Amino acid sequence: MLTQGLSLTLELAGVSLVFAMVIGIFASLMGMSKNPILRGINKAFVAIIRGTPLLVQGFFIYFGITGLLGIRITAFMAGTIALSLNAGGYLSEIFRGGIQAVDPGQREAARSLGLSASQTTWRIIIPQAIRICIPSVVNQWCITIKDTSIISVIGLAELTKMGQNIIARTYRSFEVWIIVGAMYFIVIWLLTVLARVVEKKVSLDD
Amino acid sequence: MINNENVKVEIRGLRKSFGKHEVLKGIDCDIHTGEVVCVIGPSGSGKSTFLRCINCLEEPTAGTVKVDGNLMDENAKNIDELREDVGMVFQHFNLFPHLTVLRNLTIAPTLRKKMGEEEANKVAMELLARVGLADKATAMPRSLSGGQKQRVAIARALAMRPGLMLFDEPTSALDPEMVGEVLDVMRQLAGEGMTMVVVTHEMGFARQVSDRVLFIDQGVIAEEGTPADVFDRPQNERTKSFLNKVLEA
Repeated sequence: MLTQGLSLTLELAGVSLVFAMVIGIFASLMGMSKNPILRGINKAFVAIIRGTPLLVQGFFIYFGITGLLGIRITAFMAGTIALSLNAGGYLSEIFRGGIQAVDPGQREAARSLGLSASQTTWRIIIPQAIRICIPSVVNQWCITIKDTSIISVIGLAELTKMGQNIIARTYRSFEVWIIVGAMYFIVIWLLTVLARVVEKKVSLDD
Repeated sequence: MINNENVKVEIRGLRKSFGKHEVLKGIDCDIHTGEVVCVIGPSGSGKSTFLRCINCLEEPTAGTVKVDGNLMDENAKNIDELREDVGMVFQHFNLFPHLTVLRNLTIAPTLRKKMGEEEANKVAMELLARVGLADKATAMPRSLSGGQKQRVAIARALAMRPGLMLFDEPTSALDPEMVGEVLDVMRQLAGEGMTMVVVTHEMGFARQVSDRVLFIDQGVIAEEGTPADVFDRPQNERTKSFLNKVLEA
């Protein structure tokens, strides 16, 4: 049962993070746009994501929006949307920070060689920004993996919810929470190790 | 010898302000094909801003800069093409740290000139050999010394076959023992007839290599002339006091 819960947790986190990365990239580009309307949309988006709890965001999407529009979506879909938007908001700030952390001299050097603005962004700035971002992005991934446990309240039998279910039948609180905790821990530990290898491989420092 | 036909850069009424602070207060200047012009002057006098206006890294507040008769304007459709002909070497090298030395040289030719990779590599290897760094082609920039980085940066700019090279204090960030190797490369380039504008604090280089010296102070060209004129017979009081300070040290 717990492994079923774990696989749902991983599925939820995996799908959400893929969407979150895409949302994050576009939102960060909007945030750095010359167009004040796009910048405003990004600012409002990030402010709402930051300013409200994930739990409220999940309820709002699953019950609030579906109720208003009179549509039904699955709990998995609602959970994915909430987690994607939530992580996307934070990631957009991480990406923006990474891009702005690249030495302005890099852009100048590229432009002085005749590279266009977009060639400069994609060939020179983004590859360096990614390297700068890796630790913070991995950090956000870890947070989102654990945040799947919060979103379980809308009715998703992921790892934490499965733990609760087992305890309801067995009353073995101590053992179950140790095992559940260990499962999260191992997943995140593996991710961190992997990230550290990648980080080292692409590092530009001495 | 100097006529309008070989004017490479034409600068008219150039002014540049950052906020309320006016850095360049009206500069008129022609730079001729094949000429080596050194720009000297106190810190904050506007030398670097002047240089950066030539390839439009800074947009003039007023006035015009033309290269080969083409207006350098950030919003012009052909600004990227115009910049291809104007190489620039920076104080802090600004090599692309995520690319090998060779790729630093080939990225612009392959992206801009649609040069094949093989040809671009060949050109790049020739240039690296010229600056004495053929053995560093596969190295990453971080493994190079400051002097080596700057020589790669010069080769990178040359890879676009520019008709004009701008140098923004190319030796100011170097340890003293590495200044010579960079100046040697620049000297060689000047000897081959490259048009060069060099902002520098290396008075020995300016005196020896340049055809003309511009002394910029407080946002204007306070004095200009041959190295002999400016260094040995300065007319302007500010030039005299500046030279006294730098040559004494």
